[in-house]
Amino acid sequence: MSLLSVLIFLPLLAALLILLVPSAYKALYKYLAAGVSAVQLLLAAYMYTSFDEKLAGVSAIDSYQFVEKLPWIRLNLGSLGSLEVDYFVGVDGFSILFLFLTALVMFVAVVASWKIDKQPKGFFSLLLLLNMAVMGVFVALDFFLFYVFYEVMLLPLYFLIGIWGGARREYAAMKFFLYTLFGSVFMLLVMVGLYFSVIDPVTGNHTFNLLHMMDGKNYLDGSIFSVSGDYQLFGIAARLLAFIVLFIAFAIKVPIVPLHTWLPDAHVEAPTPISIILAGILLKVGGYGMIRICYSIFPDIALDSAWWIGLIGVISILYGALNALAQQDLKRLVAYSSVSHMGFVLLGIASLTPEGLSGAMFQMVSHGFLSAMLFFLVGIIYDRVHDRMIYNFRGLGTMMPKYTAFVAIAFFASLGLPGFSAFIAEAFTIIGAFNAESVNGLLPRWMAIGGAIGILLSAAYFLWTLQRMFFGETRLKGGDEWKARLTDVDGRETFVLVPMVILALLFGLMPSLAFDKINASVLSLIELVSGAK
Amino acid sequence: MDQLSQISTPVLAALIVLCAPLISFGLSAIAGKRLRSGIPATVAIAISLLAAIFIFATVWNGQQVHQQTSWFRIGEHSFKAGILLNNLSALLLLLVCAIALPVHVYSMVYMKGDYGIHRYWLYLSLFCFAMLGLVMADSLLLMYIGWELVGFASYLLIGFWFTRPAAIKANKKAFLINRIGDLGFLIGIAIIYTQFQTLDLVALFGDHGMVREAFNDGVEWRYAQHAMPAFWLTIAGAAFFLGAMAKSAQFPFHIWLPDAMEGPTSVSSLIHAATMVAAGVFMLVRISPLFDAQILLLIGAIGAFTALMAATIALTQQDIKKILAFSTISQLGFMMVAIGIGQYGVAIFHLVTHAFFKCLLFLSAGAVIHEMQHVKETLKLELDPQDIRNMGGLRRYMPHTFRLTLVAALALAGLPLTAGYLSKDAILIFAFEWAEWQSAWWKFIPVSLLVTSALTAFYIARLVFKVFYGKPRISAIGQGTNYLHEAPRGMLLPMLFLGLCSLFPLFSYNPLLFEDTWIIKGFELPETLERVNIYHTVVPAAVNGLAIVMIFIAWRWYAQGKYPQGSLRGRLYEFSAAQWYLNVMYEKGIVKPLLKVSKMLYAFDRTIVDGLVDTGAGTVRWFANTAQWLDRALVDGLVNGVGKAAVFAGGVLRGSRKGKIQYYLFSMFLVLLIVLFVGLKIFSP
Repeated sequence: MSLLSVLIFLPLLAALLILLVPSAYKALYKYLAAGVSAVQLLLAAYMYTSFDEKLAGVSAIDSYQFVEKLPWIRLNLGSLGSLEVDYFVGVDGFSILFLFLTALVMFVAVVASWKIDKQPKGFFSLLLLLNMAVMGVFVALDFFLFYVFYEVMLLPLYFLIGIWGGARREYAAMKFFLYTLFGSVFMLLVMVGLYFSVIDPVTGNHTFNLLHMMDGKNYLDGSIFSVSGDYQLFGIAARLLAFIVLFIAFAIKVPIVPLHTWLPDAHVEAPTPISIILAGILLKVGGYGMIRICYSIFPDIALDSAWWIGLIGVISILYGALNALAQQDLKRLVAYSSVSHMGFVLLGIASLTPEGLSGAMFQMVSHGFLSAMLFFLVGIIYDRVHDRMIYNFRGLGTMMPKYTAFVAIAFFASLGLPGFSAFIAEAFTIIGAFNAESVNGLLPRWMAIGGAIGILLSAAYFLWTLQRMFFGETRLKGGDEWKARLTDVDGRETFVLVPMVILALLFGLMPSLAFDKINASVLSLIELVSGAK
Repeated sequence: MDQLSQISTPVLAALIVLCAPLISFGLSAIAGKRLRSGIPATVAIAISLLAAIFIFATVWNGQQVHQQTSWFRIGEHSFKAGILLNNLSALLLLLVCAIALPVHVYSMVYMKGDYGIHRYWLYLSLFCFAMLGLVMADSLLLMYIGWELVGFASYLLIGFWFTRPAAIKANKKAFLINRIGDLGFLIGIAIIYTQFQTLDLVALFGDHGMVREAFNDGVEWRYAQHAMPAFWLTIAGAAFFLGAMAKSAQFPFHIWLPDAMEGPTSVSSLIHAATMVAAGVFMLVRISPLFDAQILLLIGAIGAFTALMAATIALTQQDIKKILAFSTISQLGFMMVAIGIGQYGVAIFHLVTHAFFKCLLFLSAGAVIHEMQHVKETLKLELDPQDIRNMGGLRRYMPHTFRLTLVAALALAGLPLTAGYLSKDAILIFAFEWAEWQSAWWKFIPVSLLVTSALTAFYIARLVFKVFYGKPRISAIGQGTNYLHEAPRGMLLPMLFLGLCSLFPLFSYNPLLFEDTWIIKGFELPETLERVNIYHTVVPAAVNGLAIVMIFIAWRWYAQGKYPQGSLRGRLYEFSAAQWYLNVMYEKGIVKPLLKVSKMLYAFDRTIVDGLVDTGAGTVRWFANTAQWLDRALVDGLVNGVGKAAVFAGGVLRGSRKGKIQYYLFSMFLVLLIVLFVGLKIFSP
């Protein structure tokens, strides 16, 4: 069993353990969960440091690291041949960042759930199940395996929102569930189609191997997704249709405008730790999926659709930011700001320049820390007074100076203050998008300028919020009662916040920490995609 | 760390300059409320000053020093971080430290006893670090970082008294307006990077830099294999200028600076008068080879207009700091004109002289405000300590402050023997000479500058006379007990230092001829200008003649109290007093519509985008319910199996029903299985 598999299945083991521990010892659950997450974090950090940055991965199996491949399902389907699914996992530049991010955010989420006392057994075992699924998604190299992890991710989230959420939790959970399911059901069709189009060049059998799907030579002539591209479905080229379907599935996760409306509801209703996980990692599954699946398997279509993807990115940036400006609920504001910030990811990916693509990856990691931090901060006041309407607070700066300092840092880091990670991410996404017209002609330059306006708007809504909630004379809706309950951040909360501030700073000051890991993969992906012309 | 051994001494000194305030910042950040003393910050900036003096002595008119180290790589491009020391940055480093140190010393007295004093030193050190970093940065990316960080420090300091609503509105405004400029800067960077694949200042703008070597025939702008339509060069210039306009408060982005006066006065003197607001001018000089003729004309025109506009506003303001703020805007306009006419050395010269006398004016204003505040508190009066209508006759109580203010005021008005005389004359003379070579229409630039300098003399004379001459406006002050005192020594000494620096000897042995100043000689002069002798005598005479007339009028009106009552309070007066109604226009033209759009978009998001989703879900649910009803009423009992399935499907789609979670799971897998099956059927060969 490789290190990678240990990383993936450790939480599953812990979840089983939690199920076995009787409820009388329920205080143990959180320690167990925190312990496992901490071990995972160490493991992930070890893998991060020992990752060989010269190996590109992407479509070449020999440059993947920590690879493990075992036969999993062998089913004889009679006339259809035999169904072969492998347990096939490995790490390249695109996944290594997310492994670390996942371990970190999961740990933070466990610490953020310290005060959960409603059915802790269920909560923590679901949390750990989710942990396993997300880890799996980021390393699966077999489409079937990827799909299984992808779907397994959905279940615990549904329950975590639907049971431990706020007042309209069931509505939000169902909405989230149906939205995502809608995306993934069609993904399943494409997956099956790909299976029958691609053969393993060694054995000659059909295969779910993602890497084989990335090589045009492995497609059977005349198969539905063959690279010649003459197969049509409903009057549309089959490859284009498949690309669109996959794109929509991942775009819902990202989320893009107009497929984003599950996000504000899910965030607002979800308990704090789940918001942290949602924003911190799950949105990244969308971006990761686009890179790993959409772009790598359908590079020809990706090139043709770059303009549209870039446009969607710009629209998401601006639309999300403008919506955030109109919010009165702090959590909803942060949710819309996520939509806006994730728009940069699309813009960067669409540019297909090293700067843009690296910027997009960096943005995902950076947004991982920062949005987790933002939601955690929102959770802090919500925990205390069960209210988070912006207008119900004023002048918190005098009462809660440390809290205000953390909020200010998180806000300024998110709006792209140099020194913090988001600055590097957004600046290079913009530069890359701008560069695209000269390098490959994929995006017009005005898109970069449009994205830049998003940076301005994000400053507007964050600063306005600071002004309204934290500065000025103290005035609270709940009066003295709130005043007594609104204590400054405590030790546990500081323990979570400080490392995130440090990470955001560290990545902002030393971007090479991330760029060096992904550089080879980014270049190799660009070569793969632009080679499809 | 093999690079460490190769660091040259000036670079090491530059690192000391940079790190001293950073360490002080770190100390303050860690210690928090426990560190209320300003000594660490002051010591830090003193160390920076010493190192800066050393750098200046080594680098000025000597070899340019440039060292860098690899920072990070993206794709095949490597981004470096480094330090670039040449005449421009060495001078600016020295200037920033030389202004910051007196301001620190002054602040120790001025800010004494303030509740949040620990934050004050924290922010101030951050500012110094960012400003010094901006000056010595060797690449556009690093410059941009310093650029934004000074804006951030300025945000923190404007909002230092964060319980005051005006202060937190002002700092938000300042940051947002500066953000608009930052976008320009960022877009400029993107254009440069696209064209030249590097952001290194030396490689780009050096003597044989890429920008100079690039080919441009008006249609195509080409360097090596990279080409863009030529208009992008103009756009790049405009984008960087946009950045400079916001930072250096040029029309129409000047509106943040007057509001920024909500910060402590010591901060206004350092950041919003002497250093940060001049960063735009510095940046334009740093990248000057980039500008083509159109952009230079634009810079000149905007600068001249801003200078005039701000001067007209300063005429009627009543808040002592607002007058000085508009004066700063106006003087920055002068510097912009100098850049627009290609006289970069002169622009920097005026930047330096202005830094000293404007900083001094602010510190004097601070001393006065301090005393007025004191009077207000002891006499328990309801008055605005910054309103010059409440002052008057102060020269008897604060003679030293008065004398120093006078020196600074004369320098601002540009009268002989002061440093301001030299730099302002230089700009005016060059502007007239430059206009000779332009079409007649462009004469408006030097002429409007001349008018502006007359207005300048008037408004600063008005300030001095209203504050220091006449009788005290508060009746209690004149009688018996002495409520007003001279500023304490801790404040006067730094002011004295600045006062000395506002006089000519620091810059030239010849008090009347700017051409002998060493700063201008330190920068290469453009060759295109031909010396037109007549301007070198007529212009100074005109400037000074006008100034003296204006000062005389102001003396009659404000010192002797012979103000022509009523006759001047017309529309123009209102227009000026209301700051040309620009704030109102911004509020009504931009802020309100933007908020409205955002509200409308949110409504759209809720009702249309989300509404569609909900309607879709509702429709499905209706079908499911119908199916269930049909199932119950008609089919049930006949085809049990089918009925069960429909119930499950209904369960999935019906939405919120407690306790049905296992159905959801089951039906989810059912759906997946069906789809898988269908897929197998369709795709199997």
